[in-house]
Amino acid sequence: MELTITGANAITYPTLHIWDWRVAIYLFLGGLTGGLMTMSAVANLRPGKEVPRDEPCCWRIPVLAPIVLSIGMLFLFLDLEVKTHVYWFYLTFKPLSPMSWGSWILILIYPPMILYAFACLPDEMKTGMKKGWIRGLADAMRPRLRLLAKINFVGGVMLAIYTGILLSTFVARPLWNSAILPMLFLVSGMSTGTALMIIMAREDNVKLFFTQVDIWLIFTEILVLLLFFYGHYTSDAVHRNAIMPFFNTSHQFFPYFLSIIILWIVLPLAIVLKFLEVTADHSVKLTATGIFLMNTSAVLVLVGGLVVRFALVYAGQLSGYGPMM
Amino acid sequence: MIFSRRKFLKYAAVSAGSTLLAETPFLPARAREKVKADGSDVRYVPTTCEMCFWKCGVIAKVVDGKVVKLEGNPRHPQSRGRLCARGQGGIGLLYDKDRLKVPMIRTGPRGSGPRGENRYKQASWDEALGYVAKKLKEIAAKHGPEAVGLFAHGSSGTYFNNVVRAMGSANVAYPSFSQCLGARDVAWELTFGIKPNSTCERVDLANSRVIILFGTHLGENMHNSQTQEFAEAVGRGAKIIVVDPRYSTAASKASMWLPIKPGTDLALLLAWINIIISEGWYDKEYVKQYTTGFERLRKEVEQYTPAWAAQETDLPMDKIVEAVREIGRYAPNVLLHPGRHFSWHGNDTQRGRAMAIINALLGTWGRPGGLWLPPKVNLPTFSENPEHPEAKQDPVVFGDYPFAGGEGLTQELRKATLTGKPYPIKAWIVTGTNLIKTMPQQELTRKAIDSLDLLVAIDVMPTDTVMHADVILPECTYLERHDGLFTITTREAGIAIRQPAVKPLYQSRPGWWIGSELCKKLGLAQYAVKDTWEGRMRRQARTWGLDYDRLARVGYIPLTGSGRPYITKTNQPVFHTQSKKIELVSSDLDDEDFDVIPHYKPIEQPKKGEYRLLYGRSPVHTFTRTVNDLWLWELKKENEVWLNKHEARRLGIKDGEKVRLKNQDQVISDPIRARVTERIRRDCVFMVHGFGQHSPAMTRAYNRGADDQQLITRCKIDPICGVTGMRVNFVKILREA
Amino acid sequence: MPKYVMVIDQARCVGCMACVVACTLENSVPPEHYRTRVIEMVTGDFLNLRSEMRPELCNHCDDAPCVTVCPTGASHHKPDGTVQIDRSKCVGCKACIAACPYNARYINEEHGYADKCSFCEQRLRVGKQPACVATCIGKSRIFGDLNDPESEVSQKLRDNSYRVLKEAAGTSPNIYYINQFPKRM
Ligand SMILES: Nc1nc2c(c(=O)[nH]1)N[C@H]1C(S)=C(S)[C@@H](COP(=O)(O)OP(=O)(O)OC[C@H]3O[C@@H](n4cnc5c(=O)[nH]c(N)nc54)[C@H](O)[C@@H]3O)O[C@H]1N2
Ligand SMILES: Nc1nc2c(c(=O)[nH]1)N[C@H]1C(S)=C(S)[C@@H](COP(=O)(O)OP(=O)(O)OC[C@H]3O[C@@H](n4cnc5c(=O)[nH]c(N)nc54)[C@H](O)[C@@H]3O)O[C@H]1N2
Ligand code: SF4
Ligand code: SF4
Ligand code: SF4
Ligand code: SF4
Ligand code: SF4
Ligand SMILES: [Mo]
Repeated sequence: MELTITGANAITYPTLHIWDWRVAIYLFLGGLTGGLMTMSAVANLRPGKEVPRDEPCCWRIPVLAPIVLSIGMLFLFLDLEVKTHVYWFYLTFKPLSPMSWGSWILILIYPPMILYAFACLPDEMKTGMKKGWIRGLADAMRPRLRLLAKINFVGGVMLAIYTGILLSTFVARPLWNSAILPMLFLVSGMSTGTALMIIMAREDNVKLFFTQVDIWLIFTEILVLLLFFYGHYTSDAVHRNAIMPFFNTSHQFFPYFLSIIILWIVLPLAIVLKFLEVTADHSVKLTATGIFLMNTSAVLVLVGGLVVRFALVYAGQLSGYGPMM
Repeated sequence: MIFSRRKFLKYAAVSAGSTLLAETPFLPARAREKVKADGSDVRYVPTTCEMCFWKCGVIAKVVDGKVVKLEGNPRHPQSRGRLCARGQGGIGLLYDKDRLKVPMIRTGPRGSGPRGENRYKQASWDEALGYVAKKLKEIAAKHGPEAVGLFAHGSSGTYFNNVVRAMGSANVAYPSFSQCLGARDVAWELTFGIKPNSTCERVDLANSRVIILFGTHLGENMHNSQTQEFAEAVGRGAKIIVVDPRYSTAASKASMWLPIKPGTDLALLLAWINIIISEGWYDKEYVKQYTTGFERLRKEVEQYTPAWAAQETDLPMDKIVEAVREIGRYAPNVLLHPGRHFSWHGNDTQRGRAMAIINALLGTWGRPGGLWLPPKVNLPTFSENPEHPEAKQDPVVFGDYPFAGGEGLTQELRKATLTGKPYPIKAWIVTGTNLIKTMPQQELTRKAIDSLDLLVAIDVMPTDTVMHADVILPECTYLERHDGLFTITTREAGIAIRQPAVKPLYQSRPGWWIGSELCKKLGLAQYAVKDTWEGRMRRQARTWGLDYDRLARVGYIPLTGSGRPYITKTNQPVFHTQSKKIELVSSDLDDEDFDVIPHYKPIEQPKKGEYRLLYGRSPVHTFTRTVNDLWLWELKKENEVWLNKHEARRLGIKDGEKVRLKNQDQVISDPIRARVTERIRRDCVFMVHGFGQHSPAMTRAYNRGADDQQLITRCKIDPICGVTGMRVNFVKILREA
Repeated sequence: MPKYVMVIDQARCVGCMACVVACTLENSVPPEHYRTRVIEMVTGDFLNLRSEMRPELCNHCDDAPCVTVCPTGASHHKPDGTVQIDRSKCVGCKACIAACPYNARYINEEHGYADKCSFCEQRLRVGKQPACVATCIGKSRIFGDLNDPESEVSQKLRDNSYRVLKEAAGTSPNIYYINQFPKRM
């Protein structure tokens, strides 16, 4: 077939390329925040396992979460073409628009996140402070810690799912258009959040606990990833074509192929490393090597999460109903 | 290069935004009326397009002194409310930042610039015209006025024709004859005594039941109303048969595509004539009443059998027969289109004759769906200047060709310039034509230019030819000037106007003014325009009994009752031939010892590994004149060379790959992308004419694509009328390292 | 209320691109950006070729995903069935561009807002045909009110079998295509 198109727009032809690394990073940081919120809540709520208040997982992570989210939002903001109109997000509510939804979720999510962070502030942090409003707020929130943690648990899950919904609603982009995508982003968000918890944690038992959690999350992530591709493969032609870049070694698609290879190395390797650690004898303190291996596996998980976002954001834009029909 | 598009966009955006309320639907009676709203001033100015020569009626929308939109004038029969892409894109020419802006005079010797280009200084009009007049007078004094030649195309030709003839030279040549439709017109004049064309081809496509096109790539050839009617015919389900070695747009609409071996059209036509006669498809009554020479024709074409034609043309015999039976079946409401660009292979007049003969046999002349009869126009002659003096020397522009037309042969003027025979030609005035790209054998054009004492170019853009000139005179564009009145003859006749939508930009001036001032400076004030061209147009309108103000308001006024398209008892056709009949056997050709009936002589075919070079049009460009136009350039920035897929595979050439073409004379083209396609025969390649600009001053078009004319280093001249057959060059394809 | 639609008679399109230039100039579309395009598709091999001409533009979909995804309400439906963009509300998030299966949108780089075919609403308001329709050399583009049974579009859709593009995307488009190929007898 010979095809001549006169009047094609560069941003949609031959393939869509409207969103770049900024959006990938936003999605990554959004998912990571979700993971941090949920997992720090877990840390604070673990029944019967009273964790010291000054354990970083219990207070640094809650403080970090809104910051990470804000950095993510900054990247999204950087992607807007008319930044001066950004206020319109909050002059409208469009219940069917994931983006509108997202902007309101943020409004809903920031207050409990921030209050939670205050509630988590350990006493020794407060002693250094003068009796200002920060301290006052922190003191006031402390008794509501468990409630706030529960809210954060739910909020984190919602946020992570949301980052996937944002893409999955685009019927026009078959790669994204999958109900499994929000699941994928959820588990990926949770596992990256857990990974950061592991790195930040100080107590051995906390590190070990989240390493165990992460093993399950990565297993799930691999499974969901497989289902994601399998679902596309068994769907109609446009969906099947949408995953082809990942299985094509040609020059043009090499980055996508590479991303799959990376995921196939990074994620299982992370599991193996974690497995080695959790099955080791923990009657004694963690060795330096042990900590190193744990942190390395956590970094691998973060890399995996980043690769998933980049690969899907870019490859999704290659997919479409084609210029022809 | 940062194009000032931001600026352009700024005002365009402002106008679009602020004129919403002021926008009035186009009401012809209210055209030109000023509407004030939001403080912006909106006017609609009816005028005439000159992005090509079809002369469509345009309505220019002018907001705050800027032309923001061009639309077709619904009253005008050439546009019918619609403009083609090029017509729409006229704004791009008007606001092209590369336009010629001020008069310029060459300084230093020719080609003394750092890259071998001319150096120029800016000059005032007074200085530039004074310089030209002085030089022309010197040349005329030394060599006689006939040493001044004119090459022209388009509206401004009129004004410089006046200058040259007033000086006493008849050496005027238009490429529209010798590089375009000359052979066709001559062929039909020999047969019917009238051309098939006045303002436009008189083809009744809208009512045809079968249309046969030889070449004539309508859709790519974007002559407006004709293409509208072609689409109408396609929409109605008329049968379209396209004879073309390339699957053109027209072929894509056809029910039958005959990919003929290039240059063998006459074989097909003669076989068709044979079948039409032997199978009795011809219109017996019509032939008897209106034609002469039938018996002789019948005998002489008997030799041209379908089997022979199949061999010669490389077409299947059954298709050849089927096609002609189809047109026979629906005759006379059928048409074998006379074509337009006709200087192909050097045997063109006879090909045109054969086409005319088929139309005559089928009785299409004066029949619905065939060719309509020309309208009757009886306008009193109007002139405000004395007759031109008799030229002292016979012009050189007719060469030795007995049927060379009144528009002259460009290559004969060039030849005389090069040889100095029969007398020297020392000055060229060139207006509205890009000679270096337009005439075959570019090297000869360059050499001839080098031998001149003076080359004056009147143009709008710094084209390759213009940048060779000694004096450059910037004409304003058609949207900034008066021209006309134009007599438009379609099914009915009418009068159209060109008037400025905006004032001339920069120091550019209308052609009439330049010509008129030049006359004054030459001491020929009696040939100058009395006051203004508009004043002259008014007086002309008065003489013709037209209301000028109304014409200026509506753009086109029909001469009601002038049309008489079809033959009826009381409306009989008139043939201006010797016999006053349609001459199947031509007495004029007999007088000059040419074949009185077309006969087939095979032409040279490419050797193995060579391809015949064919060329044609892009729908969004007019030759070289639009290639720098922002809005058209962005749609097609460069041409490609069409190459058959199997040949490409053989040569290992991929689609989109850059190649060069090398012709039989070892001339190598600019680099050009290959378009690997099933849409062309294996023995030829095709490219769109107009690209490959070498003038860096055309910043967008510079070095984009390749120039077909580079490769047309030889041409075959038609012995009857002297047009230059240009599809006689063979190329090899070189891969770019 | 009218319901504006376009019917495209593909057989009559001669690929002249007059529509593209007219649209650009009517709507101040920046250079190298387009609200409409023309696709020429040739299939088959030498001697057995078939060609389809297909002008494309925004389909003014009834179930327009571009409107659904727009977070600010900048992309919206009008009562006349057209889909329009309120430039003053557009944040340039580009979600609508990703959401359109027809790739009908672009970003106006000068100002940042998303843009696309508006059916030339400024012309409709004063009773003119859209610019591309008004100049269409082949009269391939036919525009009108589907709610008016006498309109040319209604008649064309009654008298012809028609199709819409990318039906599987489920957007209920309002550009209808008739005569995919010229008749061959
Ligand atoms: N868009 C646009 N339209 C234009 C113009 C323009 O510049 N741009 N120019 C106008 C002018 S001045 C003219 S003269 C006309 C020219 O336009 P036409 O009169 O239509 O020109 P042709 O040379 O008949 O047509 C070119 C076609 O002839 C085919 N061809 C080449 N060699 C042969 C052959 O040996 N036999 C046959 N049967 N076909 C052959 C080519 O493949 C090509 O498809 O176009 C006019 N219209
Ligand atoms: N190789 C090859 N040669 C060809 C053809 C081909 O297809 N291939 N086609 C042939 C045919 S059919 C024809 S008709 C001729 C056409 O030959 P030309 O008429 O020479 O065609 P253009 O290349 O458009 O050159 C037109 C020139 O006029 C200038 N111009 C535009 N508007 C104005 C104006 O308002 N005033 C003035 N003064 N100048 C203006 C342009 O800038 C440009 O320099 O070419 C013939 N030669
Ligand atoms: S055919 Fe196109 S370029 Fe030629 S005069 Fe008409 S509108 Fe202008
Ligand atoms: S074609 Fe695209 S932009 Fe137009 S309404 Fe449909 S989805 Fe929206
Ligand atoms: S780019 Fe503008 S119109 Fe498109 S979805 Fe975003 S805000 Fe709405
Ligand atoms: S309707 Fe108007 S905006 Fe839409 S493609 Fe046609 S000219 Fe462009
Ligand atoms: S103007 Fe009409 S005929 Fe020409 S390309 Fe556009 S849709 Fe086709
Ligand atoms: Mo021509």
